[in-house]
Formats: sequence, C-alpha cells, structure tokens
Amino acid sequence: MLKFIVRRLLGMIPILFVVSVLIFSFVRMIPGDPARLAAGPDASYQDIQAVRAKLGLDKPMVTQYLIYVKGLLHGNLGTSLKSGRPVTKVIGSRFMATFWLTVASMAWAFVIGLFIGVLSAVKRNKWQDYAGMFSAVSGISLPAFWLGLMLIQVFSVQLGWLPTGGFASWQSLILPSLTLGSGVAAVIARFTRSSLMEVLKEDYTRTARAKGLPPNVIVWKHALRNALVPVVTMTGLQFGFLLGGSVVVETVFSWPGLGRLLIDSVAFRDYPTIQGEMLLFALEFILINLVVDVLYALLNPQIRLE
Amino acid sequence: MKKPVLEITGLQTHFFSDDEVVRAVDGVDIRIEEGQTLGLVGESGCGKSVTSLSVMGLLGDTGGKVVAGSVFFKGKDLLRLSDKEMRRLRGHEMSMIFQEPMTSLNPTLRIGEQIAEGIRLHLALDKKKARSRVLETLKAVGIPRAEGIMREYPYQLSGGMRQRVMIAMAMSCEPDLLIADEPTTALDVTIQAQILDLMRKLKEKKETAIMFITHDLGVVADMCDRVVVMYAGQVMEEADARELFANPGHPYTRGLLGSLPKLLSGQKRLGVIPGNVPVFKQVPSGCRFAGRCSYQTEKCLREVPPLLKAGDRHLARCWQTFGLAGVEAGTADKAGLQ
Repeated sequence: MLKFIVRRLLGMIPILFVVSVLIFSFVRMIPGDPARLAAGPDASYQDIQAVRAKLGLDKPMVTQYLIYVKGLLHGNLGTSLKSGRPVTKVIGSRFMATFWLTVASMAWAFVIGLFIGVLSAVKRNKWQDYAGMFSAVSGISLPAFWLGLMLIQVFSVQLGWLPTGGFASWQSLILPSLTLGSGVAAVIARFTRSSLMEVLKEDYTRTARAKGLPPNVIVWKHALRNALVPVVTMTGLQFGFLLGGSVVVETVFSWPGLGRLLIDSVAFRDYPTIQGEMLLFALEFILINLVVDVLYALLNPQIRLE
Repeated sequence: MKKPVLEITGLQTHFFSDDEVVRAVDGVDIRIEEGQTLGLVGESGCGKSVTSLSVMGLLGDTGGKVVAGSVFFKGKDLLRLSDKEMRRLRGHEMSMIFQEPMTSLNPTLRIGEQIAEGIRLHLALDKKKARSRVLETLKAVGIPRAEGIMREYPYQLSGGMRQRVMIAMAMSCEPDLLIADEPTTALDVTIQAQILDLMRKLKEKKETAIMFITHDLGVVADMCDRVVVMYAGQVMEEADARELFANPGHPYTRGLLGSLPKLLSGQKRLGVIPGNVPVFKQVPSGCRFAGRCSYQTEKCLREVPPLLKAGDRHLARCWQTFGLAGVEAGTADKAGLQ
C-alpha cells in the first residue's frame, strides 16, 4: 500500500509538467493584453512597453516558461499582476475559505445523500422511494444562484438567523454549503440507490438472508459496502470539482474563495495567478484520485493496489 | 413410518407480472422424514428451486408469492410465521446451500466472519466461542489450514473450497433440514465427487434431513433415499430411489433415465425427450407432459391425471402407468383407472 502511494506520488511529476505547459500556453491564448490592463487606461505606448518589460512579458514564450518553471521548482508561483503580491500568498489566503466550504458541503451531502439512497433502494417503489427521488431530482434541477438567493431571503433577510455572506464564523458556512451540497447530495442519492439495488439482487445477499440475518444487518453490513465503490468514485470527483471553487455560490454569498479569485484573475489577465490556480486544481484532482483508489482497496479486498 | 421433518402440502407459488400469472409451483406435495435425503429432480424451469425458496421464505423480491398450501416444518406452518420467527429458523434449524459458490459469498467480508455471524446470532455465543465453533465446522468440511482460511476473503479460494465454506456455513448451527440447490452443478467433476462425498459423511454423522435439488440422476442414485420428479410445476412421480430406477412409472422419468449415458451399452446416441418444457403461460389443459409423451392418448389431453399408485410407496401422475412396457400391473387406485 505504502509503495503504491509513493509510486503514485512520483507519477504526479510528469503529469504536472504536462499540465503546466498546457496551462501556460492556453493562458496566453486568451485575447487581451495584461500589460495594457496593468498600466491603466490612460497609459502611453511607452508606459505599456515599460510595464511589459517589467512583467517579463516581452521575452520569447519559451524563455518565459523556463523562468516560470525555475520559479515553480523553488516553490515560487510568481507575482500577481493585479495585486503585486506573491501568487502563493494570494491563493493561500483564498484556499482555506474554499476548502472549508467544500468540506462542509461534501460532509452533509454524503450523509444525507447516502441515507436517501439507501432508503430509496430498500423501499423501492414505495412512497419513501418516490419522496427520496423527488428530492434528488429537485436537488439536481434547482439552479444554485436561485437556491442561494432564496435561502438568503428566508434565513438571512426575513428570519435574520444567519449572515447573508462573507466568511466570518461557522454560521456563515451553513447557507453556502447547503446551496453547494444539494446537487451533490442528489447525485450521491441516485448513485447509492441504483448501486445498492443491484447488490441486493446478488447471490451473496440471498446467502445473508438464508442465514437469518435481520434486514438492517443485510443492508448496512453486507450490501452497502459492496455498493459503495461507484459512490466513492463519484464523491471523489465531486470533491475535486468543489475544491476548484464554485463561481456561482461564491458570488452569491460573497465568499472569499478560489472560484471568485479565478474569475477576477481571468478578467484582469493575471497570468501568474491563473496558472497557479489551475496547477493547484490539477494537483487536487490527482490527489483525490489517489485517495479514491486507496478507499477502493479498503472497501473491497479483492482490489489490490499494485 | 418416521416423523416428517418437512411436510409440504398443496404448495402453489405464482409469479405475478403486469398482466399475467405464472404458476411456477402448482400444487406440490413433498414429505421429508428425519434423516432422509430426498432428491428433487427435473429439468431447468420445472419449479424445483422455486419450491425450495418458498420453503425457506426467500422468494423476496423475485416477484414470486406463495398463494396456497402449507409447509409444516417440525410441526409449525412456515407460511404462517412472521418474518421475525422465520429469521430465527433460517440458518439455524433449516439452512440452504446454493448452486453458485463463486457468487454466493460476500466478497468484502472475511470467511471467518461470514460463518461466525450466523453462529453468534442463533446460538448466542460470544466472539471467542463462536470462533472456535467456526474452526470446528471448517475442519469438519475438510478445509485444510482452517485457521488461515478464516482470515481470508472469498476471492482467495477456489470454487470447491467456497462450496465447502458454504456447507460449513449451512451446517454450523446443526440444522434439522438442509436444502441443497444443485450444490455441485457449477463444479468440476472431481470436485463434485469430493463435495458429494463430504455431504454424505456429514449427513450420516449429523442425521440431517436433506432436500437435494438436482437435474443429475447420477447424483440422485448416489445420494438419495427417496426421489420426487417434478415437471412444469407439478410432481410427476415419487418413489424410493431404488424403486424409481428399477421401475419408473412415468414416461417423463423414463425419458430422463433414457437420456443418461450408459458405459457398456455401446449406444451411439443418447436418448432425448422430444420438445421443450411448456411455457408456463400456455400450460396445456390435460397432462402437462402430454405434448412430449409417446404414450399420449386422448384422455391425456383432456384430463389432468392425479398421482396414482404405481407400486410400493410409489406414485406417478400418469394414466398409462401400468400400460408402460415391461411394467407389471399392480393394484391401481380405483379413482384413477377407469
């Protein structure tokens, strides 16, 4: 297991290299000139050229890339064109906000989604199933901006229980994580339901019943563990997406996270910040996939990590 | 006559789909005595497995429902027990082995735990005692290095080993009735012989009554005291094993016996029964086997024959039982012969 993890971590290096090349070149394909934006609307041609030289954007692309990679190897992601602060600091200050929002959203989405999924599978074609799947479809279909605004309207404006936005305390997490998690909970519920229904038809479920085990032991001990494999994959992917920051939810709740930072950086053609964020997303996805693979092995002993 | 462990009377199990009813088991009577091994024989789809699942209460969400009859097990009608009462019997006083050892064990749980959980549940033993009991049963079914196997997962074992584990699981609480649904069909011939040998030893030692479901008459001759032949949801013939092989009273049984290969007869082709098992939807009005029967008469197409006496402790559902070639006439049930 340890060997597997180390090998996978080493395997990240070439992937990240390719990713860095792609990001670097794609960012420069976005129309617009960062030097002009940084110099301001009234700047003269000379001013712009001066800024360009200062930012190092006058050099050939390959040279720029080599400088960038050299910085990366020293843990330096460059300097934000917009704020003039190091990109690591800019991203770092935003990362935790997104991280906690993601963790809170995923935590309750997983618990609620799993519960609804199990209930629907066990009570197939009964009212519990219909209610569960109705809420799942609603969770997927309700647009986040609408749900977010409705929650703010009710719980912040009218009842005054929770803050309307920003990240000041744990209370500020409640509404945005509900908004962000509802879609994920819905997907988890549907995956759990279909996967568990399959497993409940398996021969070994019949064996468990033939042993005289009570239904809840059959579902939670015998069936669910087998049913969780696809659910875990999907949850991992969702986790990765959410860690990238949700632009809509972060905007609705004025959340100081990575999603809004990315939008701002793109608007300002802040190359180093965009590159830094994208590289971080790639890294997150790779790590999550690794965690998912390890979880597989824990769930199903037949899957061996080699 | 010994006391019956299991007495099935008039069992009817139907499958309901949108607008049709499939009568998979249609009025079956079976009686198994203490320590007896009864072979339940027939082609695929004749209702053998559905009968066993009805007894065990494992029809679950197959869509099947017992609509009539009674199933007395040690004096209790299983069909009238609550789910909870059934759970107390299942895996304890009656247990079951299935056809597919490869998929019948839970891939995510260790072998030891899969056997132990039933023991803990039914015999109320603590972890340590349950463990030693598991070890004992694993040794009893001839599993080498039982201690190590307990910590292994099903994927680490071969099919034969898995079936031994299934047998250990079924025998762990010393049931009075064991239902074995084609326990050797999925195994290699050599492994088959080993498993049958094991089952024979266990049954002699524990005096467990066994309902042995199979389509293999060779296995029946090897294992069973008494045989019930099923066809299209009904019992066609019932007799002691020796009597059935010597003196088959139903053309269907004769057909089954005729389709067995014989080592020394020098025959070139195996006998076959022409035609197929009738689709349940279009069950004929008379004898269900009539369409494929070479002794068929007009009466066979018109009237369903009852089970008629065909010899000592021997019943056959056929109007022609005594007209069959080479079968000497006996005293027929008066209601049956006209």
